[in-house]
Amino acid sequence: MLEIKNLHASVEGEDIEILKGVNLKVNAGEIHAIMGPNGSGKSTLAKVVSGHPEYEVTEGEILFNGEGITELDADERAHMGLFLAFQYPVEVPGITNKTLLREAYNTIARANDREELDPLEFEDYITEKLDVIEMKDQFLSRSINTGFSGGEKKKNEIFQMAVLNPVLSFLDETDSGLDIDALKVVSEGVNKIANDKNAIVMITHYQRLLNYIKPDHVHVMMGGKLIKSGGFELAEELEANGYDALEKELVLNGEAQ
Amino acid sequence: MSEVIQRDTMLSYITGSVESSAESVAIRAINERGREDLEKTPFPTRKDEDWRFVDLKSITKSQFCKLEEANAAAVGDISEHYLPEAMNCRLVFVNGVYNEELSSVEDLPNNVIVGNLAANADNNSVKEHLGTITNYDDDVFAPFNDAAFTDGAFIYVPEETVVRTPIHILNVFTDAEKAFYATPRLLYVGEMFSKSTIIEEHIGLADNQYLNVPVTEFKMFTGSNVHHARIQRDSKKASHVSRPIAILDKNAEYHSYTICLGAKLFRNDPRVIQNAEEVNFTVDGLVLIDGDQIADTHSIMDHRFAHAGSHQLHKVVVNDSAHSVFNGKIFVAKDAQKIDSFQENRNLLLSENGKVNTKPQLEIFADDVLCSHGATIGQLQDEEVFYLQSRGLTEQKSRELLVYAFALESVESMEVESVEKLLLNEVIEYTNRDEK
Repeated sequence: MLEIKNLHASVEGEDIEILKGVNLKVNAGEIHAIMGPNGSGKSTLAKVVSGHPEYEVTEGEILFNGEGITELDADERAHMGLFLAFQYPVEVPGITNKTLLREAYNTIARANDREELDPLEFEDYITEKLDVIEMKDQFLSRSINTGFSGGEKKKNEIFQMAVLNPVLSFLDETDSGLDIDALKVVSEGVNKIANDKNAIVMITHYQRLLNYIKPDHVHVMMGGKLIKSGGFELAEELEANGYDALEKELVLNGEAQ
Repeated sequence: MSEVIQRDTMLSYITGSVESSAESVAIRAINERGREDLEKTPFPTRKDEDWRFVDLKSITKSQFCKLEEANAAAVGDISEHYLPEAMNCRLVFVNGVYNEELSSVEDLPNNVIVGNLAANADNNSVKEHLGTITNYDDDVFAPFNDAAFTDGAFIYVPEETVVRTPIHILNVFTDAEKAFYATPRLLYVGEMFSKSTIIEEHIGLADNQYLNVPVTEFKMFTGSNVHHARIQRDSKKASHVSRPIAILDKNAEYHSYTICLGAKLFRNDPRVIQNAEEVNFTVDGLVLIDGDQIADTHSIMDHRFAHAGSHQLHKVVVNDSAHSVFNGKIFVAKDAQKIDSFQENRNLLLSENGKVNTKPQLEIFADDVLCSHGATIGQLQDEEVFYLQSRGLTEQKSRELLVYAFALESVESMEVESVEKLLLNEVIEYTNRDEK
């Protein structure tokens, strides 16, 4: 589904390289976790894949279902089924959740020659999806993320994901700032959305999210590269020994720069 | 002997004389007073503090004639501009001249008057209040209207009377061979505990140059209540200089909302004067400009007695090389305690060449008041645009939605559904012009 080959990226207009050759392959039905210390490039990877204009791909490619997408705008990538749950969801006063989601849903439907939903049909559809994150329907008529608590903002991201039904979702530190109850709701929501046709890449600093959403593959990112991949046991190892131990081990083996 | 440097007056830009042709003695007296003020008051330049940010050349580089000399086109079908809520409560003025045929006033509560000033010149309220409320020192525009107007709109709402239908004052301007001037006038008298909604509109039907200098006077008796929406959609070559003023007796409420979309030069000096304790008022504005439009609001909220609540939200969107000026004065007199006044000016700059000057000006002489103000100038945040785009919306749609959201708050205060719809369409049209 997603294939990232030797991806290098910098901040647009600046000479500082943040991604320094990322390789990653994600298949349908898989859940991946990318872990790493602060500043390792995890969030940048998610933004570059979703088409953030602040970054420039300087080398390598991103293939989505076999098609190169590095030249596409963020909305075109969304139309293909890419989704990013933001680490810091943006507040947009004056536009309700429902307005944004109907516009988004129908724009994506149009781009894929699927039928659009009229306001009434959409109301039914969206109300059903509220169950995914256990929210009341007032949530729909509130302005996007405006005055939301940290937990509500993250729930809103997962709710949007449920409504837009993407093929591949990047969840950027969706667990940060969540108390244990909210974490459970959000995780259960993600688990309800996950199926054998879609894929999820979670980006996180801590293992605690992975106790609720079991990844098939765990990758460690450091210095703008995925330096080690493995199964769930890799996450446990990191939690026990920390990133420093892993870094030392790789240096000893001559694998790190 | 020192040489007196003769500065231009308003009359320097007017062809011919401003001779009164009003039939009413009362109106002729105001005309006379206006002419005297005009002759002794020099036309403002950028050296005058109140005009330092404004380029007045769309007036000073032109000559404006009387409507009769302009060879103006006749008005066609303008029914698309009628408000469904006010089908039977509409006064139409074409190029400043009352048009009885297009106006329609029916089914109003007993003793309510919605008509033209000339026909009501003998009404006691007209005689008592017309021309007594305007209060613009060293000004040339209010006196110009005083000097030149011969007619206008008159609204009178008697005691304890509520007019449920919005009253639509529709000023339209037609194409003309020469640039002409118009001096629309509105006198509103709300008796004790009366209530109404006024929609005052200015629409340029063509793309011609003209000078629109309206004066509106609101006399608000005890406990009276008015919702006054002003929508300025003049031609993009027109100059519009407005002098709307309201004076409030005890417990009166006056809420005004000015929407600026049109005109090359728009200058608006709303003033609300507190005449007794315990009043409430609003002086809101929404400005959407682009191209080389200039929109300048100089407002005064004049608190002279205790216990007033006042509020001002002035929102501005600037695109291309348009220029917005805001100078919001809040006065609180020495004994006017317990005033709660809030002013906010928010500006959204969509282009690199757009320009915004903002100046809150609070002059407070009482010591037990709550007055605050804020001014912000910002752009659409890239992160906001990316957020919406990552959900599948095109970049254009994302920007449009963000500008729409910015303007929405002001539009929602209109209280008349068809006006809200009209303005939302204007907002969408405005954001679409950004597409280029």
